[in-house]
Amino acid sequence: MAKSFAQVLLELGREDPRICGVSCDCWGFLAPLAAEFPERAIEVGIAEQNLIGVAAGLAVRGKTPFAIGMNPFVTMRCFEQIRTDLGYGARNVKVIGGYGGGMMYAAWGCTHHAVEEMALMRLIPTMTVVMPADVYETEHAVRAAAAADGPFFISLAHGELPSGPPEEERAFRLGEAVLLRDGDAATVVAVGPMVPEALRAADLLSARGLAVRVLNMHTIKPIDRQAILRAAQDTPRIITLEEHTVVGGLGGAVAEVLADAGARTPLTRLGLQDTFAVMCGSREDFWRRFGLSAEAVVEAVVA
Amino acid sequence: MTTHDSRSALLGELVETARRIRVHVVRIAGMSECHTGGSLSIADLLAALYFHTLKVDPANPGWDGRDYFILSKGHCVPALDAALALRGFFPEAALTTHLELDSIISGHACARLTPGIDVSTGSLGHGLSVATGVALGVRMDGAANRVFVILGDGELQEGSNWEAAMAAAHHGLDHLVAIVDRNRYQTGPTEEMMRLEPLAGKWASFGWAVRVVDGHDMGAVVEALEALPFERGRPSALIALTTKGQGVSFIRNHHMARFDAARLKAALAELGEPADASEETHNG
Repeated sequence: MAKSFAQVLLELGREDPRICGVSCDCWGFLAPLAAEFPERAIEVGIAEQNLIGVAAGLAVRGKTPFAIGMNPFVTMRCFEQIRTDLGYGARNVKVIGGYGGGMMYAAWGCTHHAVEEMALMRLIPTMTVVMPADVYETEHAVRAAAAADGPFFISLAHGELPSGPPEEERAFRLGEAVLLRDGDAATVVAVGPMVPEALRAADLLSARGLAVRVLNMHTIKPIDRQAILRAAQDTPRIITLEEHTVVGGLGGAVAEVLADAGARTPLTRLGLQDTFAVMCGSREDFWRRFGLSAEAVVEAVVA
Repeated sequence: MTTHDSRSALLGELVETARRIRVHVVRIAGMSECHTGGSLSIADLLAALYFHTLKVDPANPGWDGRDYFILSKGHCVPALDAALALRGFFPEAALTTHLELDSIISGHACARLTPGIDVSTGSLGHGLSVATGVALGVRMDGAANRVFVILGDGELQEGSNWEAAMAAAHHGLDHLVAIVDRNRYQTGPTEEMMRLEPLAGKWASFGWAVRVVDGHDMGAVVEALEALPFERGRPSALIALTTKGQGVSFIRNHHMARFDAARLKAALAELGEPADASEETHNG
Protein backbone atom coordinates (compact mmCIF):
# COMPACT_ATOMS: atom_id res chain seq x y z
CA MET A 1 0.00 0.00 0.00
CA ALA A 2 1.53 3.30 -1.10
CA LYS A 3 2.14 5.94 1.53
CA SER A 4 1.23 9.59 1.51
CA PHE A 5 3.84 12.18 0.62
CA ALA A 6 3.88 13.41 4.22
CA GLN A 7 4.63 9.92 5.51
CA VAL A 8 7.32 9.29 2.88
CA LEU A 9 8.98 12.59 3.72
CA LEU A 10 9.12 11.60 7.39
CA GLU A 11 10.66 8.23 6.52
CA LEU A 12 13.22 9.92 4.27
CA GLY A 13 13.94 12.36 7.06
CA ARG A 14 14.66 9.51 9.46
CA GLU A 15 17.07 7.95 6.97
CA ASP A 16 18.93 11.13 6.03
CA PRO A 17 19.44 14.12 8.32
CA ARG A 18 19.85 16.42 5.31
CA ILE A 19 16.20 15.95 4.32
CA CYS A 20 14.05 18.90 5.32
CA GLY A 21 10.79 20.51 4.25
CA VAL A 22 9.76 24.06 3.43
CA SER A 23 6.08 24.87 3.23
CA CYS A 24 4.28 27.66 1.47
CA ASP A 25 1.06 27.53 3.46
CA CYS A 26 0.97 23.73 2.97
CA TRP A 27 1.93 22.68 6.48
CA GLY A 28 -0.12 19.49 6.42
CA PHE A 29 2.43 17.94 4.08
CA LEU A 30 5.19 18.60 6.61
CA ALA A 31 3.28 17.88 9.81
CA PRO A 32 4.64 14.35 10.41
CA LEU A 33 8.22 15.51 9.72
CA ALA A 34 7.70 18.54 11.94
CA ALA A 35 6.36 16.41 14.78
CA GLU A 36 9.55 14.36 14.88
CA PHE A 37 12.12 16.89 13.64
CA PRO A 38 10.68 20.33 14.38
CA GLU A 39 13.82 22.21 13.29
CA ARG A 40 13.75 20.54 9.86
CA ALA A 41 10.28 21.71 8.85
CA ILE A 42 9.94 25.37 7.96
CA GLU A 43 6.87 27.44 7.15
CA VAL A 44 7.43 30.54 5.02
CA GLY A 45 3.81 31.62 4.70
CA ILE A 46 2.12 32.49 1.43
CA ALA A 47 5.29 33.56 -0.33
CA GLU A 48 6.41 31.37 -3.22
CA GLN A 49 9.42 33.45 -4.21
CA ASN A 50 10.77 33.21 -0.70
CA LEU A 51 9.89 29.51 -0.55
CA ILE A 52 12.24 28.74 -3.42
CA GLY A 53 14.95 31.14 -2.28
CA VAL A 54 14.93 29.67 1.23
CA ALA A 55 15.08 26.16 -0.20
CA ALA A 56 18.02 27.19 -2.40
CA GLY A 57 19.78 28.56 0.68
CA LEU A 58 19.21 25.34 2.58
CA ALA A 59 20.79 23.50 -0.34
CA VAL A 60 23.74 25.92 -0.24
CA ARG A 61 24.24 24.64 3.32
CA GLY A 62 24.13 21.02 2.05
CA LYS A 63 20.54 20.19 2.90
CA THR A 64 18.07 18.35 0.66
CA PRO A 65 14.96 20.49 0.93
CA PHE A 66 11.51 19.59 -0.34
CA ALA A 67 9.76 22.88 -1.11
CA ILE A 68 6.02 22.48 -1.28
CA GLY A 69 3.28 24.74 -2.55
CA MET A 70 0.19 24.62 -4.72
CA ASN A 71 0.98 23.69 -8.34
CA PRO A 72 -0.14 26.85 -10.14
CA PHE A 73 1.63 29.16 -7.73
CA VAL A 74 4.73 27.14 -6.96
CA THR A 75 5.53 26.85 -10.67
CA MET A 76 4.48 30.28 -11.94
CA ARG A 77 4.81 32.93 -9.22
CA CYS A 78 8.39 31.91 -8.52
CA PHE A 79 9.39 30.67 -11.94
CA GLU A 80 12.44 32.90 -12.02
CA GLN A 81 13.61 31.71 -8.59
CA ILE A 82 13.29 28.11 -9.77
CA ARG A 83 15.08 28.87 -13.01
CA THR A 84 17.82 31.01 -11.52
CA ASP A 85 18.33 29.82 -7.94
CA LEU A 86 17.72 26.11 -8.56
CA GLY A 87 18.53 25.55 -12.24
CA TYR A 88 21.39 27.96 -12.90
CA GLY A 89 22.30 27.70 -9.22
CA ALA A 90 22.47 23.89 -9.57
CA ARG A 91 20.78 23.34 -6.21
CA ASN A 92 19.58 20.03 -4.86
CA VAL A 93 16.02 21.20 -4.22
CA LYS A 94 12.86 19.20 -4.82
CA VAL A 95 9.95 21.43 -5.74
CA ILE A 96 6.66 19.75 -4.90
CA GLY A 97 3.32 20.72 -6.38
CA GLY A 98 1.13 19.56 -3.54
CA TYR A 99 -2.31 20.26 -4.93
CA GLY A 100 -3.76 21.62 -8.11
CA GLY A 101 -1.86 19.94 -10.94
CA GLY A 102 -3.32 20.56 -14.42
CA MET A 103 -7.00 21.39 -14.05
CA MET A 104 -7.55 19.64 -10.73
CA TYR A 105 -9.25 22.80 -9.51
CA ALA A 106 -11.67 22.81 -12.46
CA ALA A 107 -14.51 25.23 -11.71
CA TRP A 108 -12.50 26.98 -9.02
CA GLY A 109 -11.15 28.92 -11.94
CA CYS A 110 -8.24 29.60 -14.24
CA THR A 111 -6.23 31.32 -11.50
CA HIS A 112 -5.93 27.86 -9.96
CA HIS A 113 -5.18 25.91 -13.12
CA ALA A 114 -1.59 24.81 -13.60
CA VAL A 115 -1.86 23.86 -17.25
CA GLU A 116 1.52 25.46 -17.97
CA GLU A 117 3.47 23.65 -15.24
CA MET A 118 4.97 20.91 -17.42
CA ALA A 119 6.06 23.31 -20.15
CA LEU A 120 7.59 25.74 -17.69
CA MET A 121 9.48 23.22 -15.60
CA ARG A 122 10.67 21.41 -18.71
CA LEU A 123 12.33 24.61 -19.95
CA ILE A 124 14.89 24.61 -17.16
CA PRO A 125 18.18 22.83 -17.84
CA THR A 126 18.97 19.94 -15.44
CA MET A 127 15.43 19.97 -14.02
CA THR A 128 13.81 16.55 -13.68
CA VAL A 129 10.05 16.82 -14.14
CA VAL A 130 7.72 14.11 -12.88
CA MET A 131 3.95 13.89 -12.87
CA PRO A 132 3.04 10.56 -11.28
CA ALA A 133 -0.31 8.97 -12.10
CA ASP A 134 -1.13 7.79 -8.60
CA VAL A 135 0.08 7.49 -5.03
CA TYR A 136 2.25 4.48 -5.81
CA GLU A 137 4.22 6.43 -8.39
CA THR A 138 4.26 9.48 -6.17
CA GLU A 139 5.94 7.57 -3.36
CA HIS A 140 8.56 6.18 -5.70
CA ALA A 141 9.12 9.49 -7.47
CA VAL A 142 9.70 11.22 -4.14
CA ARG A 143 12.16 8.54 -3.03
CA ALA A 144 13.96 8.74 -6.38
CA ALA A 145 14.17 12.52 -6.10
CA ALA A 146 15.66 12.28 -2.62
CA ALA A 147 18.27 9.83 -3.86
CA ALA A 148 19.27 11.92 -6.89
CA ASP A 149 21.29 15.12 -6.90
CA GLY A 150 19.80 18.16 -8.62
CA PRO A 151 16.52 20.03 -8.92
CA PHE A 152 13.23 18.20 -9.35
CA PHE A 153 9.64 19.16 -9.88
CA ILE A 154 7.09 16.58 -8.80
CA SER A 155 3.36 17.09 -9.06
CA LEU A 156 1.83 14.89 -6.38
CA ALA A 157 -0.98 12.48 -7.23
CA HIS A 158 -3.35 11.61 -4.43
CA GLY A 159 -5.52 8.84 -5.89
CA GLU A 160 -5.18 5.23 -6.92
CA LEU A 161 -4.86 4.22 -10.56
CA PRO A 162 -8.06 2.34 -11.50
CA SER A 163 -7.68 -0.85 -13.53
CA GLY A 164 -3.92 -0.65 -13.25
CA PRO A 165 -1.71 -3.66 -12.56
CA PRO A 166 -1.39 -4.93 -8.97
CA GLU A 167 1.26 -3.11 -6.98
CA GLU A 168 3.64 -6.08 -6.74
CA GLU A 169 3.85 -6.18 -10.53
CA ARG A 170 4.66 -2.51 -10.84
CA ALA A 171 7.96 -0.73 -11.08
CA PHE A 172 8.85 2.94 -11.18
CA ARG A 173 11.99 4.09 -12.89
CA LEU A 174 12.70 7.76 -13.54
CA GLY A 175 12.72 8.54 -17.23
CA GLU A 176 11.13 5.26 -18.20
CA ALA A 177 7.59 5.13 -19.55
CA VAL A 178 5.30 2.46 -18.14
CA LEU A 179 3.67 0.18 -20.70
CA LEU A 180 0.13 -0.27 -19.40
CA ARG A 181 -1.50 -1.86 -22.47
CA ASP A 182 -0.05 -3.07 -25.71
CA GLY A 183 -1.55 -2.96 -29.14
CA ASP A 184 -0.89 -1.97 -32.72
CA ALA A 185 -3.79 0.33 -33.66
CA ALA A 186 -2.18 3.41 -32.11
CA THR A 187 -0.15 4.53 -29.12
CA VAL A 188 -1.68 6.73 -26.46
CA VAL A 189 0.92 8.56 -24.36
CA ALA A 190 -0.67 9.95 -21.23
CA VAL A 191 0.52 11.70 -18.13
CA GLY A 192 -0.74 12.15 -14.58
CA PRO A 193 -4.50 12.35 -14.14
CA MET A 194 -5.00 11.53 -17.83
CA VAL A 195 -3.60 8.02 -17.46
CA PRO A 196 -6.94 6.59 -16.25
CA GLU A 197 -8.64 8.28 -19.21
CA ALA A 198 -6.15 6.64 -21.55
CA LEU A 199 -6.94 3.26 -20.00
CA ARG A 200 -10.65 3.93 -20.38
CA ALA A 201 -10.05 4.80 -24.03
CA ALA A 202 -8.20 1.53 -24.46
CA ASP A 203 -11.22 -0.31 -23.05
CA LEU A 204 -13.63 1.54 -25.36
CA LEU A 205 -11.43 0.75 -28.36
CA SER A 206 -11.04 -2.86 -27.29
CA ALA A 207 -14.83 -3.19 -27.42
CA ARG A 208 -14.53 -2.13 -31.06
CA GLY A 209 -11.83 -4.69 -31.69
CA LEU A 210 -8.95 -2.20 -31.65
CA ALA A 211 -5.94 -2.73 -29.40
CA VAL A 212 -3.93 0.37 -28.52
CA ARG A 213 -0.66 0.75 -26.70
CA VAL A 214 -0.92 2.91 -23.60
CA LEU A 215 2.21 4.53 -22.18
CA ASN A 216 2.22 6.29 -18.84
CA MET A 217 4.84 8.99 -19.38
CA HIS A 218 5.27 9.96 -15.73
CA THR A 219 8.65 11.56 -16.37
CA ILE A 220 8.30 14.50 -18.73
CA LYS A 221 11.97 15.33 -18.45
CA PRO A 222 14.17 13.53 -19.26
CA ILE A 223 11.56 11.98 -21.54
CA ASP A 224 11.72 8.35 -22.62
CA ARG A 225 12.82 8.82 -26.24
CA GLN A 226 13.16 5.10 -26.86
CA ALA A 227 9.58 4.39 -25.89
CA ILE A 228 8.34 7.17 -28.15
CA LEU A 229 10.43 6.10 -31.12
CA ARG A 230 9.44 2.46 -30.64
CA ALA A 231 5.80 3.55 -30.68
CA ALA A 232 6.47 5.52 -33.86
CA GLN A 233 7.78 2.36 -35.48
CA ASP A 234 5.25 -0.11 -34.11
CA THR A 235 2.01 1.85 -34.41
CA PRO A 236 0.55 4.06 -37.18
CA ARG A 237 -0.39 6.99 -34.94
CA ILE A 238 0.63 8.56 -31.63
CA ILE A 239 -1.81 10.44 -29.45
CA THR A 240 -0.65 12.45 -26.47
CA LEU A 241 -3.10 13.13 -23.67
CA GLU A 242 -2.47 15.67 -20.92
CA GLU A 243 -4.49 17.94 -18.68
CA HIS A 244 -2.25 20.80 -19.78
CA THR A 245 -1.65 23.10 -22.67
CA VAL A 246 -0.29 21.10 -25.58
CA VAL A 247 2.23 23.90 -26.09
CA GLY A 248 5.50 22.79 -24.58
CA GLY A 249 4.16 20.09 -22.30
CA LEU A 250 3.87 16.35 -22.99
CA GLY A 251 2.56 16.95 -26.51
CA GLY A 252 5.35 19.37 -27.22
CA ALA A 253 7.98 17.05 -25.78
CA VAL A 254 6.79 14.06 -27.84
CA ALA A 255 6.60 16.21 -30.99
CA GLU A 256 10.20 17.28 -30.45
CA VAL A 257 11.38 13.69 -30.09
CA LEU A 258 9.57 12.64 -33.26
CA ALA A 259 10.76 15.65 -35.26
CA ASP A 260 14.36 15.32 -34.11
CA ALA A 261 14.37 11.67 -35.18
CA GLY A 262 12.72 12.40 -38.52
CA ALA A 263 9.82 10.12 -37.63
CA ARG A 264 6.80 10.58 -39.87
CA THR A 265 4.26 8.93 -37.64
CA PRO A 266 1.19 11.20 -37.37
CA LEU A 267 0.82 12.84 -33.97
CA THR A 268 -2.38 14.08 -32.34
CA ARG A 269 -1.87 16.23 -29.27
CA LEU A 270 -4.90 16.19 -26.97
CA GLY A 271 -4.93 18.79 -24.23
CA LEU A 272 -5.76 22.46 -23.98
CA GLN A 273 -5.35 23.91 -27.45
CA ASP A 274 -3.71 27.20 -26.51
CA THR A 275 -6.71 28.48 -24.61
CA PHE A 276 -7.85 29.27 -21.08
CA ALA A 277 -10.45 26.83 -19.81
CA VAL A 278 -13.09 29.32 -18.72
CA MET A 279 -16.19 27.46 -17.56
CA CYS A 280 -17.91 25.84 -14.63
CA GLY A 281 -18.51 22.16 -14.21
CA SER A 282 -16.82 19.06 -12.90
CA ARG A 283 -13.24 18.17 -13.77
CA GLU A 284 -14.63 15.57 -16.16
CA ASP A 285 -16.83 18.24 -17.75
CA PHE A 286 -13.66 20.21 -18.47
CA TRP A 287 -12.07 17.16 -20.08
CA ARG A 288 -15.08 16.62 -22.33
CA ARG A 289 -15.46 20.29 -23.29
CA PHE A 290 -11.80 20.70 -24.15
CA GLY A 291 -11.33 17.38 -25.91
CA LEU A 292 -9.10 15.49 -23.55
CA SER A 293 -11.39 12.62 -22.61
CA ALA A 294 -11.31 8.93 -23.48
CA GLU A 295 -13.91 9.65 -26.14
CA ALA A 296 -11.60 12.19 -27.77
CA VAL A 297 -8.87 9.54 -27.85
CA VAL A 298 -11.26 7.05 -29.47
CA GLU A 299 -12.17 9.65 -32.08
CA ALA A 300 -8.52 10.33 -32.83
CA VAL A 301 -7.76 6.61 -33.24
CA VAL A 302 -10.69 5.74 -35.49
CA ALA A 303 -10.45 8.95 -37.56
CA MET B 1 51.50 49.25 20.56
CA THR B 2 48.54 50.59 22.49
CA THR B 3 45.01 49.42 21.81
CA HIS B 4 44.38 52.76 20.21
CA ASP B 5 47.38 52.35 17.91
CA SER B 6 46.43 48.83 16.85
CA ARG B 7 42.90 50.01 16.15
CA SER B 8 44.25 52.84 14.00
CA ALA B 9 46.49 50.39 12.21
CA LEU B 10 43.59 48.05 11.50
CA LEU B 11 41.40 50.84 10.18
CA GLY B 12 44.27 52.18 8.10
CA GLU B 13 44.76 48.78 6.50
CA LEU B 14 41.06 48.43 5.78
CA VAL B 15 40.93 51.90 4.23
CA GLU B 16 43.88 50.96 2.03
CA THR B 17 42.18 47.67 1.07
CA ALA B 18 39.03 49.58 0.11
CA ARG B 19 41.15 51.91 -2.01
CA ARG B 20 42.70 48.92 -3.79
CA ILE B 21 39.24 47.46 -4.42
CA ARG B 22 38.25 50.77 -6.01
CA VAL B 23 41.41 50.82 -8.12
CA HIS B 24 40.51 47.37 -9.48
CA VAL B 25 36.94 48.48 -10.22
CA VAL B 26 38.22 51.54 -12.06
CA ARG B 27 40.72 49.47 -14.04
CA ILE B 28 37.91 47.07 -15.01
CA ALA B 29 35.96 50.08 -16.26
CA GLY B 30 39.02 50.95 -18.30
CA MET B 31 38.73 47.61 -20.08
CA SER B 32 34.99 47.18 -20.48
CA GLU B 33 31.63 48.54 -19.47
CA CYS B 34 31.31 48.17 -15.69
CA HIS B 35 28.73 48.82 -12.96
CA THR B 36 31.08 51.31 -11.37
CA GLY B 37 28.52 53.23 -9.30
CA GLY B 38 27.30 50.48 -7.01
CA SER B 39 30.68 48.76 -6.99
CA LEU B 40 32.44 51.83 -5.67
CA SER B 41 29.74 52.44 -3.07
CA ILE B 42 30.28 49.04 -1.42
CA ALA B 43 34.10 48.98 -1.51
CA ASP B 44 34.46 50.00 2.15
CA LEU B 45 31.84 47.49 3.26
CA LEU B 46 33.55 44.67 1.38
CA ALA B 47 36.97 45.59 2.75
CA ALA B 48 35.61 45.49 6.30
CA LEU B 49 33.76 42.23 5.70
CA TYR B 50 36.50 40.27 3.93
CA PHE B 51 39.46 41.63 5.89
CA HIS B 52 37.93 41.92 9.34
CA THR B 53 34.55 40.31 9.89
CA LEU B 54 34.00 37.21 7.76
CA LYS B 55 35.49 33.87 8.70
CA VAL B 56 36.62 32.50 5.34
CA ASP B 57 39.42 30.28 4.08
CA PRO B 58 40.62 31.25 0.60
CA ALA B 59 42.39 27.89 0.28
CA ASN B 60 39.14 26.09 1.00
CA PRO B 61 36.23 28.24 -0.19
CA GLY B 62 33.69 25.52 0.68
CA TRP B 63 34.86 25.22 4.29
CA ASP B 64 31.89 24.24 6.50
CA GLY B 65 32.83 26.74 9.16
CA ARG B 66 32.83 29.76 6.89
CA ASP B 67 30.64 32.77 7.24
CA TYR B 68 28.47 33.05 4.16
CA PHE B 69 28.37 36.17 2.04
CA ILE B 70 25.84 36.83 -0.72
CA LEU B 71 26.04 39.87 -2.96
CA SER B 72 22.37 40.23 -3.74
CA LYS B 73 23.11 43.23 -5.97
CA GLY B 74 25.04 40.89 -8.24
CA HIS B 75 25.82 43.51 -10.87
CA CYS B 76 28.37 45.02 -8.47
CA VAL B 77 30.51 41.91 -8.71
CA PRO B 78 33.59 43.86 -9.87
CA ALA B 79 34.04 45.07 -6.28
CA LEU B 80 33.42 41.59 -4.89
CA ASP B 81 35.82 40.01 -7.35
CA ALA B 82 38.44 42.56 -6.37
CA ALA B 83 37.92 41.80 -2.67
CA LEU B 84 38.10 38.05 -3.30
CA ALA B 85 41.30 38.41 -5.32
CA LEU B 86 42.91 40.62 -2.69
CA ARG B 87 41.84 38.11 -0.02
CA GLY B 88 43.59 35.36 -2.00
CA PHE B 89 40.75 33.35 -3.52
CA PHE B 90 42.34 33.75 -6.95
CA PRO B 91 45.15 35.81 -8.49
CA GLU B 92 44.61 39.53 -8.94
CA ALA B 93 45.68 39.10 -12.57
CA ALA B 94 42.37 37.36 -13.27
CA LEU B 95 40.64 40.72 -12.81
CA THR B 96 42.19 41.93 -16.04
CA THR B 97 40.16 39.34 -17.98
CA HIS B 98 36.71 40.77 -17.12
CA LEU B 99 34.11 39.33 -19.55
CA GLU B 100 36.76 37.79 -21.82
CA LEU B 101 36.54 34.34 -23.36
CA ASP B 102 36.72 31.69 -20.61
CA SER B 103 37.44 34.25 -17.89
CA ILE B 104 36.35 33.51 -14.32
CA ILE B 105 35.34 37.17 -14.00
CA SER B 106 31.73 37.42 -15.14
CA GLY B 107 29.47 40.44 -15.55
CA HIS B 108 27.24 39.29 -12.69
CA ALA B 109 28.21 37.20 -9.66
CA CYS B 110 28.62 33.61 -10.80
CA ALA B 111 29.23 30.87 -8.25
CA ARG B 112 29.96 28.42 -11.03
CA LEU B 113 32.84 30.45 -12.43
CA THR B 114 34.37 32.42 -9.60
CA PRO B 115 36.06 30.85 -6.55
CA GLY B 116 34.75 32.29 -3.30
CA ILE B 117 31.30 33.18 -4.60
CA ASP B 118 28.68 31.00 -2.90
CA VAL B 119 25.56 32.13 -4.71
CA SER B 120 25.03 33.36 -8.27
CA THR B 121 23.13 36.62 -8.39
CA GLY B 122 22.23 39.32 -10.86
CA SER B 123 18.46 39.18 -10.83
CA LEU B 124 17.53 41.50 -7.98
CA GLY B 125 15.54 40.36 -4.98
CA HIS B 126 16.94 36.83 -4.68
CA GLY B 127 19.80 37.13 -2.20
CA LEU B 128 17.94 37.72 1.04
CA SER B 129 15.72 34.66 0.57
CA VAL B 130 18.71 32.46 -0.16
CA ALA B 131 20.56 33.92 2.83
CA THR B 132 17.53 33.18 5.00
CA GLY B 133 17.65 29.57 3.83
CA VAL B 134 21.38 29.30 4.54
CA ALA B 135 20.79 30.71 8.01
CA LEU B 136 18.03 28.18 8.66
CA GLY B 137 20.33 25.38 7.46
CA VAL B 138 23.08 26.57 9.78
CA ARG B 139 20.64 26.51 12.66
CA MET B 140 19.57 22.95 11.78
CA ASP B 141 23.22 22.00 12.19
CA GLY B 142 23.47 23.77 15.53
CA ALA B 143 26.42 25.62 13.99
CA ALA B 144 27.73 29.14 14.53
CA ASN B 145 28.24 30.35 10.95
CA ARG B 146 26.92 33.79 10.19
CA VAL B 147 25.26 34.86 6.95
CA PHE B 148 25.77 38.30 5.39
CA VAL B 149 23.99 39.83 2.43
CA ILE B 150 24.58 43.14 0.71
CA LEU B 151 21.44 44.51 -0.89
CA GLY B 152 21.06 47.55 -3.07
CA ASP B 153 18.55 50.14 -1.94
CA GLY B 154 16.79 50.21 -5.31
CA GLU B 155 16.72 46.44 -5.13
CA LEU B 156 14.42 46.70 -2.12
CA GLN B 157 11.63 47.68 -4.51
CA GLU B 158 11.46 43.98 -5.39
CA GLY B 159 8.72 42.51 -3.20
CA SER B 160 10.51 39.22 -2.66
CA ASN B 161 12.89 41.00 -0.25
CA TRP B 162 10.03 41.71 2.08
CA GLU B 163 8.83 38.12 1.97
CA ALA B 164 12.32 37.17 3.11
CA ALA B 165 12.51 39.97 5.68
CA MET B 166 9.26 38.76 7.20
CA ALA B 167 10.40 35.13 7.33
CA ALA B 168 13.89 35.84 8.73
CA ALA B 169 12.41 37.83 11.59
CA HIS B 170 9.62 35.32 12.17
CA HIS B 171 12.21 32.56 12.52
CA GLY B 172 14.43 34.69 14.75
CA LEU B 173 17.58 34.40 12.65
CA ASP B 174 19.97 36.59 14.61
CA HIS B 175 22.97 35.16 12.76
CA LEU B 176 21.66 36.78 9.56
CA VAL B 177 22.82 40.27 8.59
CA ALA B 178 21.38 42.37 5.78
CA ILE B 179 23.54 45.31 4.76
CA VAL B 180 21.72 47.85 2.63
CA ASP B 181 23.93 49.89 0.30
CA ARG B 182 21.89 53.06 0.62
CA ASN B 183 23.43 55.04 -2.22
CA ARG B 184 20.08 56.55 -3.19
CA TYR B 185 20.51 55.96 -6.91
CA GLN B 186 19.34 53.23 -9.23
CA THR B 187 19.21 54.23 -12.91
CA GLY B 188 17.93 57.51 -11.45
CA PRO B 189 17.31 58.96 -7.97
CA THR B 190 15.72 56.21 -5.89
CA GLU B 191 13.49 58.40 -3.75
CA GLU B 192 12.02 60.01 -6.88
CA MET B 193 11.57 56.76 -8.77
CA MET B 194 10.05 54.77 -5.91
CA ARG B 195 10.31 56.09 -2.39
CA LEU B 196 11.86 53.79 0.22
CA GLU B 197 11.78 56.11 3.24
CA PRO B 198 11.28 55.57 6.07
CA LEU B 199 13.73 52.78 5.31
CA ALA B 200 14.99 52.03 8.81
CA GLY B 201 11.39 52.04 9.99
CA LYS B 202 10.44 49.51 7.34
CA TRP B 203 13.07 47.04 8.54
CA ALA B 204 12.22 47.66 12.17
CA SER B 205 8.54 47.11 11.50
CA PHE B 206 9.38 43.75 9.94
CA GLY B 207 11.08 42.73 13.18
CA TRP B 208 14.73 43.47 12.41
CA ALA B 209 17.21 45.19 14.69
CA VAL B 210 18.39 48.18 12.68
CA ARG B 211 21.44 50.42 12.69
CA VAL B 212 22.31 53.21 10.30
CA VAL B 213 25.93 53.95 9.59
CA ASP B 214 28.08 56.08 7.29
CA GLY B 215 29.11 53.39 4.81
CA HIS B 216 32.34 55.21 3.95
CA ASP B 217 33.47 55.78 7.55
CA MET B 218 35.59 52.68 8.14
CA GLY B 219 35.67 53.15 11.89
CA ALA B 220 31.89 53.36 12.06
CA VAL B 221 31.43 50.39 9.71
CA VAL B 222 33.79 48.19 11.72
CA GLU B 223 32.21 49.24 14.98
CA ALA B 224 28.77 48.31 13.66
CA LEU B 225 29.98 44.92 12.39
CA GLU B 226 31.58 44.22 15.75
CA ALA B 227 28.28 44.97 17.47
CA LEU B 228 26.48 42.12 15.66
CA PRO B 229 23.96 40.83 16.39
CA PHE B 230 22.33 44.14 17.20
CA GLU B 231 19.75 42.31 19.26
CA ARG B 232 19.45 38.67 20.36
CA GLY B 233 16.67 36.82 18.57
CA ARG B 234 16.36 39.25 15.68
CA PRO B 235 18.13 39.48 12.33
CA SER B 236 20.28 42.59 11.95
CA ALA B 237 19.85 45.25 9.27
CA LEU B 238 22.73 47.63 8.73
CA ILE B 239 21.77 50.55 6.54
CA ALA B 240 25.00 51.92 5.11
CA LEU B 241 24.65 55.48 3.86
CA THR B 242 26.85 55.59 0.80
CA THR B 243 27.56 57.51 -2.37
CA LYS B 244 27.17 55.90 -5.74
CA GLY B 245 30.54 56.12 -7.46
CA GLN B 246 32.37 56.98 -4.21
CA GLY B 247 36.01 57.79 -4.84
CA VAL B 248 35.72 59.03 -8.42
CA SER B 249 34.07 62.44 -8.41
CA PHE B 250 33.19 62.68 -12.09
CA ILE B 251 31.04 59.53 -12.14
CA ARG B 252 29.15 60.25 -8.93
CA ASN B 253 25.64 58.79 -9.13
CA HIS B 254 26.34 57.15 -12.49
CA HIS B 255 25.12 53.57 -12.74
CA MET B 256 27.70 52.34 -15.25
CA ALA B 257 30.88 53.67 -16.77
CA ARG B 258 33.44 52.78 -19.39
CA PHE B 259 36.65 54.80 -19.13
CA ASP B 260 38.78 55.86 -22.02
CA ALA B 261 42.47 56.29 -21.26
CA ALA B 262 42.19 59.90 -20.17
CA ARG B 263 39.29 59.25 -17.79
CA LEU B 264 40.95 56.13 -16.47
CA LYS B 265 44.06 58.14 -15.66
CA ALA B 266 41.97 60.81 -13.97
CA ALA B 267 40.01 58.24 -11.96
CA LEU B 268 43.17 56.48 -10.83
CA ALA B 269 44.70 59.83 -9.89
CA GLU B 270 41.71 60.57 -7.65
CA LEU B 271 42.31 57.22 -5.96
CA GLY B 272 45.98 58.06 -5.46
CA GLU B 273 47.07 55.39 -7.90
CA PRO B 274 49.61 56.12 -10.64
CA ALA B 275 48.56 55.00 -14.10
CA ASP B 276 50.89 52.29 -15.38
CA ALA B 277 53.01 52.59 -18.50
CA SER B 278 50.55 51.02 -20.93
CA GLU B 279 47.79 53.31 -19.73
CA GLU B 280 50.12 56.30 -20.31
CA THR B 281 50.77 55.10 -23.86
CA HIS B 282 47.08 54.73 -24.69
CA ASN B 283 46.53 58.19 -23.38
CA GLY B 284 48.45 59.64 -26.30
